Amino acid sequence: MEETLGKKRAVRNPKKQKKHPMTWSLIKNQKQLIWMSVPLTLYIILFAYVPIWGWTMAFQNYKPARSFGEQTWVGFKHFKFLFTDDNFLRVLRNTLGMSLINLVLGFVTAIILALLLNEIKKVFLKRTVQTISYLPHFLSWVIVTGIVATSLASDGIINDLLLKLHIIKEPILWLSEGKYFWGVVGASHVWKEVGWNTIIYLAAMASIDPALYEAAEMDGASRYKKMLYVTIPGIKSTIVILLIMSIGHILDAGFEVQYLLGNGLVVDWAETVDIFVLKYGIAQGNYSLATAGGIFKTVVSVTMLLLANWTAKRLGEERLL
Amino acid sequence: MGGKSKTMFRLGLMLLLTFSVVLSGCGGSKDTSSSSGSDSNKNTTEQAATGNNDDKVEPFNVSVFIGEAGQQPTPDNKIYKKIKDELGATFNFEFLAGDINQKLGVMIAGSDYPDLMTGNTKLTAAGAYIPLEDLIEKYAPNLKKHYADYWNMMKDPNDGHIYILPNYGVYNGKLNSTWYSGPAFWIQKDVLEDAGYPKVKTLDEYFDLIAKYKEKNPKIDGSPTIGFEILNYDWRNWGLFNAPQHLIGHPNDGGVVVKDGVAEIFADKDYAKQYYQKLNEVNDKGLIDKETFVQNYDQYLAKLSSGAVLGMFDQHWNFQNAENSLITQKKDNRTYVGLPLVYDVNTKDYYRDRAPLNLNNGFGISVNAKDPERIIKLLDKLITEDWQKTLTWGVEGEDYVVNEKGRFMKTQEQRDKFTDGTWKLANKADAFFSFAPKMEGSFSDGNSTDAAAQPEEYQAGLKEYDKKFLQAYGYNSYVDFFSDPPENPVYYPAWTIDLNEGSEAKVVNTKLNDLSTKFLPKAILAKPADFNSVWTDYTSQIGKVNVKAYEDRINEQIKWRIDNWSK
Repeated sequence: MEETLGKKRAVRNPKKQKKHPMTWSLIKNQKQLIWMSVPLTLYIILFAYVPIWGWTMAFQNYKPARSFGEQTWVGFKHFKFLFTDDNFLRVLRNTLGMSLINLVLGFVTAIILALLLNEIKKVFLKRTVQTISYLPHFLSWVIVTGIVATSLASDGIINDLLLKLHIIKEPILWLSEGKYFWGVVGASHVWKEVGWNTIIYLAAMASIDPALYEAAEMDGASRYKKMLYVTIPGIKSTIVILLIMSIGHILDAGFEVQYLLGNGLVVDWAETVDIFVLKYGIAQGNYSLATAGGIFKTVVSVTMLLLANWTAKRLGEERLL
Repeated sequence: MGGKSKTMFRLGLMLLLTFSVVLSGCGGSKDTSSSSGSDSNKNTTEQAATGNNDDKVEPFNVSVFIGEAGQQPTPDNKIYKKIKDELGATFNFEFLAGDINQKLGVMIAGSDYPDLMTGNTKLTAAGAYIPLEDLIEKYAPNLKKHYADYWNMMKDPNDGHIYILPNYGVYNGKLNSTWYSGPAFWIQKDVLEDAGYPKVKTLDEYFDLIAKYKEKNPKIDGSPTIGFEILNYDWRNWGLFNAPQHLIGHPNDGGVVVKDGVAEIFADKDYAKQYYQKLNEVNDKGLIDKETFVQNYDQYLAKLSSGAVLGMFDQHWNFQNAENSLITQKKDNRTYVGLPLVYDVNTKDYYRDRAPLNLNNGFGISVNAKDPERIIKLLDKLITEDWQKTLTWGVEGEDYVVNEKGRFMKTQEQRDKFTDGTWKLANKADAFFSFAPKMEGSFSDGNSTDAAAQPEEYQAGLKEYDKKFLQAYGYNSYVDFFSDPPENPVYYPAWTIDLNEGSEAKVVNTKLNDLSTKFLPKAILAKPADFNSVWTDYTSQIGKVNVKAYEDRINEQIKWRIDNWSK
């Protein structure tokens, strides 16, 4: 076990790795692997790099069904529209706000649920809880928002429950107040995704060496101490990697939830960058603006990703790149 | 090692195969749908078009994109089978699944168009339709005759070509109407019955009736009575936006009011303020549903279906399903009557209009169609009276009967079938016909083109409750609550004006929509003392938007229509 761990480290950290020169015999030796990677590489080039060409759209007044030469170039006009619009700052704030809430809540709840599940020794119970908690992941947002809207209605289950428990006197209209909206979105995300997010942590926990637990027990560690000093450090690298990956998606607060749950009363809190781009870009047939929005998001994402990765490196943690 | 590499090789091969199968699957589908039409025999087409259809009709396929969600007809559908047997055409429908803009984006990006597509300005802008005027001149005498009076109106304002064959708005003979599908202030029949069948003219009378009824009946069938609903969800936003223009006796022009050929937005005008202030007042009395601005369309329909909602401003077709559900539940007294309310009794109501030609609807032939000639001939054949009768009334003897006076009637059994969705999929060609060119009004023998609009048929099909109800008012149908529509102004309606994709006018339109969606609910729900400050805030925000760009575009188009459409 110790050995394999060491090996893993070595592979991840190129400095310690002994360099294999790329020789003909090596290529020949691994030709099956190389052939296998060909379709995937082509796939990636075709679907991830070729479309970048489409970014030129953002600098044109793009009209569909006309050739590249027929398009008119307008420079940064669409970016200017995006950044100077009154709504844009508000929309950006909402995106970041909801994204952060989703990120933090998503992580905290998933890790806690994973830790709790890990403590359950009855396999049947554990499996049941896990299955129930990850099933909502497979529902589409349209259905989930339908469920959310219905349960938050004035005669919905949430209000019924709060009324019966005498916590509130009058039903609360959850979806009519901006101040609740982020919370509603965060909670819906947790309900939908918590079980699914847990899976990876449970997998990471399963790979922790049982000897560590035994040793801790010998030293007189309680259940909580074991959780704190063995389990959590054991999944720390997984957490960091996932965190870095999520930070790259910081501007993807999504649009389905906000679009489907939003209304005139909460629009100041509900509109995200994606909805803005949908409304003023795609819905208007203004594909250039939509592309400009996409580029903006990508640039921010890549920057955030690199920043997070760099920070992780500084802190001596596992890294993605 | 050897075994392992073999396994690897096999795995790689399988991967490659999978890829190639998937890729070839993606590309292949188009050919099958259009190729059979391409090598068709011209002579047989000619024969089919001139009516000498014997057994030698060359079959051909027409792929059709319907820009709405819908259901596939059954494979043995009676009417499609008849079309296939007599005219040779087989339709392959593709219905919209998901978002229309997204779908069109994909279609346009790949120039992947079926033969026939329903009208959409995005597709027109992308050059996806072929001009039809020469084709119609050459091959379609019946269509030419059908559209003769509307020829200029069908031309695209941007380049003067005809791309779309509009489905509605072409009238022949006497126009019978027993059904009103447009906007109105709707009120539950029971409220009127309870008040002794009063004639309601003004907004104040309307809300007084609702207030009194609600006080008398705090609950309906166990759920709390809701006085007034306003749906404002996604694109179904007219419930909140459109009422003011009708209250001053103006027809539905969308976001503008047109006076003497000049359009201006009305969202920030005083008569709009008057309406929203009234709503604010009514809300303070607890008549407006608390959840009204929070609910989505499904929740709205669910509330209406429960029968607990006394009134709303909406278009009839928008809540049709809820009303059908009430009828199924045998709650006829909970269904609705449309009222053409105005501010002032001296104003003549102008809710009911003559359905205008709608260029954003109907079929266009795509640039990818292999044989547009044959398609236009097919459509030309289907606009003839015999086929129109088949498409609307069905097959004589099976779906309707002709009485001794030569009038088309239905038995109760046939009537019931016509409201049965499953039956329709097997026996009606609705998917095609709702977008195809059609006769409206009456046939040359005087029968109505629409079964529901045949006066004696409508009377025969009425429920006891409705018979009594209409008798109390002395009306023949619910349409009589409205004034007869005058002749449409030439430009009418302004809401069909294409604002041009990606133009300033369109951006402004979106902004105005955003502002109204945000501020109007606020204004209505505000404490009456705060109403004025919210309203001032709203109008000052509108002042910041380049409203002129929007109005200019509409005015320019109105002028264009007046210049080009006048006969």
